[in-house]
Amino acid sequence: MARFIAVRLARALLTIGVVVTFAFVVLRASGDPARALLSPETPAEAVEAFRKAWGLDAPLWVQYARYLFAVVHGDLGQSMRDGRPAITVVAERIPVTLMLTAPALILNLLIGIPAGIYAALKRGSIADRLVMMVAVVGFTVPSFVLGLVFVLAFAVELPWFPSGGAGGWQHLVLPVITLGLGGAAVLARFSRSAMLEILGQPYIRAASAKGVPWPRVVTGHALPNAAIAVLTIVGFMVGNLIAGTVLVESVFSWPGIGSLLVVSVASRDLAVVQCIMLVVAAAMITTNVTIDLLYGMLDPRLRELRSGRR
Amino acid sequence: MSSISAEKILPSSRMRRLWWWRDRAIGIAVAWLGLMLLVAIFADRLAPYDYAALDLHHRLAAPLGLGGAIAHPFGSDELGRDVLSRLAISIRISLLIAFGATLIGAVLGIMLGILAAHFRGWVEQVVLGCVDFQASMPFLVLALAVLAFFGNSLLLFVGLIGLHGWERYARVTRALAMSANEQAYVIAVRQLGARPWRVYLRHIMPNIASTLIVTMTLAFPDIILLESGLSFLGLGVQPPLTSLGNMVGYGRDYLTRAPWILVLPSLVISLTTLSISLVGDWLRDRIDKTLS
Repeated sequence: MARFIAVRLARALLTIGVVVTFAFVVLRASGDPARALLSPETPAEAVEAFRKAWGLDAPLWVQYARYLFAVVHGDLGQSMRDGRPAITVVAERIPVTLMLTAPALILNLLIGIPAGIYAALKRGSIADRLVMMVAVVGFTVPSFVLGLVFVLAFAVELPWFPSGGAGGWQHLVLPVITLGLGGAAVLARFSRSAMLEILGQPYIRAASAKGVPWPRVVTGHALPNAAIAVLTIVGFMVGNLIAGTVLVESVFSWPGIGSLLVVSVASRDLAVVQCIMLVVAAAMITTNVTIDLLYGMLDPRLRELRSGRR
Repeated sequence: MSSISAEKILPSSRMRRLWWWRDRAIGIAVAWLGLMLLVAIFADRLAPYDYAALDLHHRLAAPLGLGGAIAHPFGSDELGRDVLSRLAISIRISLLIAFGATLIGAVLGIMLGILAAHFRGWVEQVVLGCVDFQASMPFLVLALAVLAFFGNSLLLFVGLIGLHGWERYARVTRALAMSANEQAYVIAVRQLGARPWRVYLRHIMPNIASTLIVTMTLAFPDIILLESGLSFLGLGVQPPLTSLGNMVGYGRDYLTRAPWILVLPSLVISLTTLSISLVGDWLRDRIDKTLS
């Protein structure tokens, strides 16, 4: 088990390294930041001074080494918009975004998994068709359209909830539901097919054949095995949730990381964009490592197998 | 896949009724997609006005049936631009970008998949590493970062969206090509002295094409959603050019005063992705049940 964890952590570190390097390469490949930021009329000596101030006159590998050193020390540069350290600007938005994503993730799981499992158990029934139809609609309607429909219906026509901004719990309702429904649809579809796959396995037939009551076959044999498959997709769902947050925060003017990212991209505030990328990467990697560890706990077969591979 | 087939559980008449509905739904979906293709092809003839032409006398005109006039059947926006004309051109632009991006993603993914299957060893590890990396980051965030760093141009934008989803093709192609490599027909062709290129393009590709087409159909809605999402944020297709996402993003500011600006493009996006998903699922069930 220790070896398994070590391998996972090493790969996680490697991925962080790739993301950091990716940010650096993209940043440098995008052209001279001095030229991009300063107006064309800026005198040459001012441009030189700017380069010197930001260390842009050093050779590329020196810049890379400095950059790595800075990142390791938590120094991700300053926001060019308001002059504060990028990491501070980003960090104060993290809890605001978590206020949206955490309930949305719970909503995803609470609706998606039971709906999918129910549909699988009642395969071919009207209920199954209905769940699947709603699920298809749920993940083909873009989240920003869904959000705008909610605003039009429950903020404008029926003024039950505020149309945007942050504040009391009322402000959370519409964005959380918007985020939650799309993910629940994906999860429902996936849980259904995972469950169907398991129900078709010989050991389920064997359990039924030896006279185990059906509810016990489902809870004792089918669900634990389906759980492993469903766990696979949760990492993917967290990624979706983060991407969804960007759009949904923008629709509801929610002052989280997503809105910050959009504003920073539009104003080319590179330090902040880069910092957000690292935060997202860290979040994704934490999720994936957690999921892998859970795998190891849920399914002892995988432990040795996985640590042996790669 | 399952030993409990649906026919055994259900009385056959009910099953048949469900299939009947499903076939109708597929028919409607295909018809909708056909309509969208026609609109995209003939967009400039369908549009009564230039999509960027201003008509300041008829700003925020309501559509027909909501008190509007025939001059702007679907209404007009804040600058008096005709919603019908903009919608037609937007459908064309959005579909063009989606097709272009799908092609880029498919070609790139298939090539990398074949390379991984052919060379194995470290090449395969690098490709798999990239697949893992791509799958581990939400693509919207990566795309936004690249747009922040490089600024925006239509070409870059299409290429960027093309990068979305290549990993699916790479994974599928690698797996299929590896198993094909073990099969008798490939071994036979190879023994006859065919070069790798010939083996992959002439013999393996036709055999795995159906699965790849299904993969493409299943990836297409994601591409449309990504494009419209970025354009909605104002970071995709740049004005004066317009796309479906742009129209929704622009119309959002007039949500209460002129909802017609965004209702139609929203509907078009949703119905198009829905139709492609339905057709994709249907194709998958028909052609290849192993994909999910």
